[in-house]
Amino acid sequence: MVTAPTVTIHLPGPLRAYSGGVTRLETAARTVKAALEDLERNRSALYRNLCDETGALRRHLNVFVNSNNIRDLQGVDTILAAGDVLTFLPAVSGG
Amino acid sequence: MADRLVVAIGTRKGVFVADAAKTRRSFTLRGPFGPGVPVYSTLIDARATPRVYASSCNPFFGMKVLCSKDLGKSFQETKSAPAFPKDDGRALANIWSLEAGDGKKELWCGVEPAALFRSRDGGDTWEMVPGISNHEHARKWQPGAGGLCLHTIVRDGARVHLAISTGGHYLSEDRGETFRASNKGVGAGFAPDPYPEFGQCVHKIVRHDAAPGRLYMQNHGGWADWTGPGGPRPNIGVLRSDDHGRSWRSIAAGLPTDFGFPIVVHPRDADTVFVLPLEPATRTCPGGAPAVWRSENGGDSWSRLARGLPKKETYFTVQRDAMTMDRLSTPALYFGTTTGQLWIGRDGGEQFDCLFDSLPPIHNVKVAVV
Repeated sequence: MVTAPTVTIHLPGPLRAYSGGVTRLETAARTVKAALEDLERNRSALYRNLCDETGALRRHLNVFVNSNNIRDLQGVDTILAAGDVLTFLPAVSGG
Repeated sequence: MADRLVVAIGTRKGVFVADAAKTRRSFTLRGPFGPGVPVYSTLIDARATPRVYASSCNPFFGMKVLCSKDLGKSFQETKSAPAFPKDDGRALANIWSLEAGDGKKELWCGVEPAALFRSRDGGDTWEMVPGISNHEHARKWQPGAGGLCLHTIVRDGARVHLAISTGGHYLSEDRGETFRASNKGVGAGFAPDPYPEFGQCVHKIVRHDAAPGRLYMQNHGGWADWTGPGGPRPNIGVLRSDDHGRSWRSIAAGLPTDFGFPIVVHPRDADTVFVLPLEPATRTCPGGAPAVWRSENGGDSWSRLARGLPKKETYFTVQRDAMTMDRLSTPALYFGTTTGQLWIGRDGGEQFDCLFDSLPPIHNVKVAVV
């Protein structure tokens, strides 16, 4: 039997209002895309902050698996393993 | 509680709310709410218990609609914001306009990319209005400098006028079920055809209850010197319609420039209209000396109003929704600047005073007595 990985999701503080007050969640998803689909099903208000209505990740949001930006991996198809940390962070911007 | 004058100020860093007694001697400022997030549209909705709405255009986490039920002491998100259907392919980029609809709770919302949404429950749920959002022209509209936005909604009984940059003026005569481009006489300076069927960059449209059929438009002017195909297009920037927007004619003669963003009609006199001309190239005050220009005869002639405003070295822009007028017995004019000043023009613009000098860049100003 294959055990689903447990992945920790870290959210930025401004998204607490959409995640029941927490900034850390867990998922058994095997890819970033599956983790997002999990959020869409179970935490739709939170999901809408992360993805637009076409399903695309919001443009100014960076997503990391451990310390790697998924842009440098396989994007939303990046595979998740047990113990991985999936972090959503707004991009640095000024002005 | 005595009536209060409430001013909603949408800025690049959130929404502020100012209020004053009807004497307008001193204003108290609250905010910013939705701090750090641009607010391109506000609405003071006094149809029932007064509400102040603000769009909050978060570049990271998407669009929200904020609502205050205590006259701007606090704001909460509505249960949802407008969103395109999942299979539509478009994604909401900004909310440019919030307007009151029928009854006590209906709201209309113009967005970027150009589309129209309607809420029947005070902003908690939204539906796309297909007559314009899926119009056969919709995929042909092009973005202007501010994006491809539906920024103006003017309701007049069964008629609905919309302004889209750059799409032009669209008119519905069946309460928004269907729309048609209605741009006869509305010029465009950025296309070889000076008078296309659609695609104009209309900046603002206003109307007055006392003048049925009459509309005023600030269009994208500044094309008098064009020498390319189609020739020069002088005075296409400020227009008037007397047939419910089916055709338009220029009323720009006499203005220092026909470029500008806002246009405001006096609440008690349909013949009195205000514009704030800007240099077409820089979109700042001509000669560094800001002035509001007023016509008291429906656009036949114009006079300059600048008492109290800086006389030189002033180069702000006033955006399309950043000038308005209250409805008190002697109405005052208000405008907010991209340099963060909120000005009041007392006695209909005869005397200007700066109410707040150092706000964030101002996108819009709305005022109501509630």
